[in-house]
Amino acid sequence: MLRQIQPGVGRMLALTYALPMVTFILVIALWEAMVVGFGIPLYLLPAPSAIWEVFASQPAFLFRIGMTTFSQALSGFVIGCTLGILVAAICVRWRVLARGLVPFSVASNAVPIVALSPLFGIWLGSTSPASKIAVVAVMTFFPTLVNVFRGLTSPTPDAIQLLRSYAAPEHVIFFKLRLPASLPYLFNALKISATLSMIGAVVAEFFGGLRNSLGVYIKSEAGILHTREAWSAIVVASIIGITFYTIIVIAERFVMPWYTARQR
Amino acid sequence: MITPGYEAPTLAPSAPAAATDSAVIVEQVSKMYQSNAGPVTALHEVSLTIGRGEFIALIGPSGCGKSTLMRLIGDLDQVTKGSITVKGKTPRQARIDREYGIVFQSPVLYDWRTVRKNVELPLEVMGHPANERRDRARAMLQTVGLRDFENAFPWQLSGGMQQRVAIARALVFEPSILMMDEPFGALDEMTRERLQAELLKVWGGSESDTTVVFVTHSISEAVFLSDRVVVMSPRPGRIETVIPIDLPRPRNKKTREMPGFFHLITQVRDSLRES
Repeated sequence: MLRQIQPGVGRMLALTYALPMVTFILVIALWEAMVVGFGIPLYLLPAPSAIWEVFASQPAFLFRIGMTTFSQALSGFVIGCTLGILVAAICVRWRVLARGLVPFSVASNAVPIVALSPLFGIWLGSTSPASKIAVVAVMTFFPTLVNVFRGLTSPTPDAIQLLRSYAAPEHVIFFKLRLPASLPYLFNALKISATLSMIGAVVAEFFGGLRNSLGVYIKSEAGILHTREAWSAIVVASIIGITFYTIIVIAERFVMPWYTARQR
Repeated sequence: MITPGYEAPTLAPSAPAAATDSAVIVEQVSKMYQSNAGPVTALHEVSLTIGRGEFIALIGPSGCGKSTLMRLIGDLDQVTKGSITVKGKTPRQARIDREYGIVFQSPVLYDWRTVRKNVELPLEVMGHPANERRDRARAMLQTVGLRDFENAFPWQLSGGMQQRVAIARALVFEPSILMMDEPFGALDEMTRERLQAELLKVWGGSESDTTVVFVTHSISEAVFLSDRVVVMSPRPGRIETVIPIDLPRPRNKKTREMPGFFHLITQVRDSLRES
């Protein structure tokens, strides 16, 4: 057999991790070179090195305001996803409800729910965390509902009839079949919701929020052309968002070893 | 026990000796479905008595209602007219009493369960303690030759192995009636013949107490496995004829070479043509 057909483990690792790393470094280098080479003014686009300088001068402050925003994102995420799961479970029991709800939930994918932020500000107070939490909850509710409902209804008629043939009651069918079958769909929803929640919280803060939060800071610094400060906060928002997503991916591997192993 | 004045039919060695020894009695059963084009008759006045420990094959072209008949017996669907008695009970009561083991065409294994946990599923639903479940599942896996794969996940097995797990799962709680809906239909010819022989071994041959209702498209499969082949015909679904298979048991590779085997295959084929 040809040796090239089976790349070693080292080679596999290199392909999975090293190549994206190289891309990242190349983009940063290109960015730096363009800013310096074309003499782009600071207020338009700061160089990565300049952003890093500001970031390094106040990391504790940046992560503190990051955590303020993240705690709102997380609260909204927990509320939205929990409600989505519960309503999906209720929809499985009473299918009429699903007929009424699911089309709207699918349509809501196309609705920019962050656009409702100013209205939530009026209802719940523009600077209070509640309005941010509400925006995130609404944003994450619909994709969770749709995905989990699909997951809960994914078992084939044969798989359900198998349990019926053992005279299994509905709740046993739910816990032994529907729920585990829905887990891949649930984690898909949680991954989508994790990204959405950080976006939702930051954007909602543009319309008002706690003084020391990412959205408010980015908006006010950008307003006075402190672009390095704004960018450094964006970097923090990205780090938090990616970390949140990664935690869910790790949880997925932990909860569904059968599923992740199969994908590899 | 033999009812006085009742002569046991001399169809096959293991044909029902008397009505009291019947596992399943189907009387004048009709099944209608509603479709967009109006009501469709899936089964029309079908009657059949299956003896305890008998292996029955239901064969016929698509739309002859063979799967429907199996599902009606197993209470996965309800009759429109007529009645079905299973071990002296209604199919519903028989299902509640866990009389049925079912194997479908696809193995329907649960992805998130290991092979052993899949086999344990019915015992779990029925509330057996964990150590008993494990022991019985292991014993069953031993019987189907998959003891070494107990901790594998279903997707790591071949199609034939997956179907063996499904058979182990159907038999692990020792149901009195085993229903199989084209269980080997999706397998290649070699695997298929091997699994047929294994099924007969697991079932226990002529001494078995387990009644089998086996739905199939394959004539040779029906003849090789069963005590009686029930030939069905479509539009509306009905029983054309019942052919006793008097080939000796235990059946094995040699059975497939017997002149009687070919003769019976021809007989079943001819009655399928007439239908």
